[in-house]
Amino acid sequence: MTVFFRVFILSTSLMFFYFFYLYIEEDKYYPGASFQTSNMPLFELEDLYSDKVIANSDIEGAHLINVWASWCITCRIEHGFLVKLSSQGIPIIGLNYKDERIDAINWITKFGDPYELIVHDLKGELALDMGVTGAPETFLINNGKIIAHYRGEVNEMIWSDVFSPIIEKENLFNVN
Amino acid sequence: MIIEAAQFLTILATGLFFLCFTFSIFFDVNDINIIKLISRIYSHSFFLFLSSFLIYVWLAINDNFSVLYIAQHSNTNLPVFYKISSIWSAHEGSMFLWIIFLSLWGAIYNFSANNNEPLKARTIGVISITTVGFLLFLLLTSNPFETILPLPPENGADINPVLQDPLLAIHPPTLYLGYVGFVIAFGQAIAFLIEGNSSINWEKQVRFWSIIAWSFLTLGITLGSWWAYYELGWGGYWFWDPVENVALMPWLAATAFIHSLSASSKSSILRIWTILLSILVFSLSLFGAFIVRSGIIDSVHSFANDPERGLYLLAFIGILVMTSLILFSYRFKILFSNKRIVSLSKESFISINNIFFGALIFSTMLGVMYPLIYEFIYDQKISVGAPFYNAIFAPITLLACLFLLFSIESKWQSKLKITFLNNPLIISFIFSLFITFIAFKFYAVSRAWTLVSLFLGLLIISRYILVIYAYLFHSKFVNIYSVLAHIGLGLLIISIALNNDFSSERALNIKINETETYKNHEITFNNLQLIEGPNYESVKADFIIENKKGNKFSLNPEKRKYFVRGQITTETAIHTSVLKDIYLTIGDQLDDGSWIVNVQFNYFIRWIWFSATLMIISGLFLARSLNRVHS
Repeated sequence: MTVFFRVFILSTSLMFFYFFYLYIEEDKYYPGASFQTSNMPLFELEDLYSDKVIANSDIEGAHLINVWASWCITCRIEHGFLVKLSSQGIPIIGLNYKDERIDAINWITKFGDPYELIVHDLKGELALDMGVTGAPETFLINNGKIIAHYRGEVNEMIWSDVFSPIIEKENLFNVN
Repeated sequence: MIIEAAQFLTILATGLFFLCFTFSIFFDVNDINIIKLISRIYSHSFFLFLSSFLIYVWLAINDNFSVLYIAQHSNTNLPVFYKISSIWSAHEGSMFLWIIFLSLWGAIYNFSANNNEPLKARTIGVISITTVGFLLFLLLTSNPFETILPLPPENGADINPVLQDPLLAIHPPTLYLGYVGFVIAFGQAIAFLIEGNSSINWEKQVRFWSIIAWSFLTLGITLGSWWAYYELGWGGYWFWDPVENVALMPWLAATAFIHSLSASSKSSILRIWTILLSILVFSLSLFGAFIVRSGIIDSVHSFANDPERGLYLLAFIGILVMTSLILFSYRFKILFSNKRIVSLSKESFISINNIFFGALIFSTMLGVMYPLIYEFIYDQKISVGAPFYNAIFAPITLLACLFLLFSIESKWQSKLKITFLNNPLIISFIFSLFITFIAFKFYAVSRAWTLVSLFLGLLIISRYILVIYAYLFHSKFVNIYSVLAHIGLGLLIISIALNNDFSSERALNIKINETETYKNHEITFNNLQLIEGPNYESVKADFIIENKKGNKFSLNPEKRKYFVRGQITTETAIHTSVLKDIYLTIGDQLDDGSWIVNVQFNYFIRWIWFSATLMIISGLFLARSLNRVHS
């Protein structure tokens, strides 16, 4: 009886912990990530630096679209990693979100510019269509389709766990 | 510089806590000098750690945005109160607070326990190693001291607006105090198992600490429930949200634990229960921390997450719990008492209710785990909702109430003698039956569950009122605070049942200047205003409600949009009377210009929190009375 009780208690709790171990390890779980494919919404917005209008046709092939703003502290933390990505040849388009032009330009001057192109979305119109809930968020688009969306800071770990698998699968950017 | 100093103090404290643990394991803990030494090291490391936290609070008050965490969660425009509470508005800082409380309980125990108490040194050792485990978690995976240098931002991001509420500044700390408060019971149980001397009566001292921790846990849960009601606009008191469930499980275990303690502090009967429950309570508290902080479950409570954190916590909790259980099974024999439980004695009813509590904990755990297991196997998300929990909780709780009634009649270690005449139970039985019948006949209470709950609740209350009567007029010895807590339970059961039966809600489509009628109340949409707040803009509606007696009052629900985070929150408007709350929230505007307005009539909802408050206050007074007996 005692032995049975002992074995029962120890083995159930061991199984309990082992299950959670499997759960965490096998199924890397990122609530911020979503892989639903959708069309890139149509837009016409000004460039951050000039009055030039940017539209869907200006974005061809595969790109990252990073939603950022000068008021967003997490964007500042993320920024270093984006600079690193762009130096590895990943094309990134900035979507400046609900931000004053002058603040955004100052910010970029101060911390560096990883973006090929920055779209100025003062009222958050495009961001709304894309389903942005805040900043930072990052989208992976290929030929006018959104194929991955991450809410929150992209860093080394998120890059290798969320973005790299789909990039390799779709064979984008000709990296690696 | 000051930030590094604070971090260094924490690291130093970690080292000293570890020293406490090693001393308590490798040295002779019956030597008074060793006990003094361990106790002194513990106090010193606690003060180092506390000063580190106080420096951190000071940094937050002074808007030191070179600290990354403060920059992310505070803002210069916030009042000082929220600058401080922003510390526990996210993962790193709240973990910091959690560990401060953990070591604080240890420090209070260390200070108040006499040095010649046999288990003191080992208990402090166990508390220390638990603290070290969490401190390493803090420093290695979620460091609150991380800096943004050399260019700190001028202003911080904002604290999450739903957290800008005085109640929410208090809810997490009280809950944490409750969770980690059981570390003393856990420490003493483990110390008792290591010592292996069955003649030590550890239960007596633990009772005081556990009842205080239980009161804090109850308070924390109640505050959370109230906050969700009026701030989140959820319009109820309990939602079976996974994180509510992980707080409920330690509460259930703790309730069973304090009841078993009152049995085994008198004789060493039920010792297996008390030891196992003390391990269970603390393990479930830690499990709660794991669930919330590993990001396994999506909930309003979950923090930004990182699988590494989950893995560390899992490993740490796993080691702690498995070690305790191995120790428990190793010492299993000394826990047996020579005395047998007399059947139909108070102890027997307490152990039956322990089994019921165990069943409730198991079912809640199942509800939390099942979606995870399902997702793991089938890769599909499902959720277990209120119907599952209600179906299980209602019958088991009511059965447990029945055995509670028997245990009032019974005595410690002697068989219950049932006398049918002149028994106070008969009086309260007739009284409760009568009231339930009136409710059925004249007040449209018709569902079976409600009637049964009403009857049992009344039975508990009236039976305990007769106990108070005997206490006052026949000077019979009664633990008056326990009586009051159980009256709180009776009231809670009645209010939950009636709330469930009477409450109703409806979504109205209503335009400005229109009037709708709902349940004899005329609801007029009077006006709509746009308001500019300090850090938000809002739409504020003005409704006039007229009840059938002709009393009028206005309600102003609001919908706010915060600038910095772009978050939208609903501000509910509530009109409270003795029996019911009228609860309004506004939703979206439709294309035809009308607004969606949700009207709820919540009956007896204040009574639920009142009953919980009664239990909390009785718990605190009970602890006070125990302490007085002690010294």
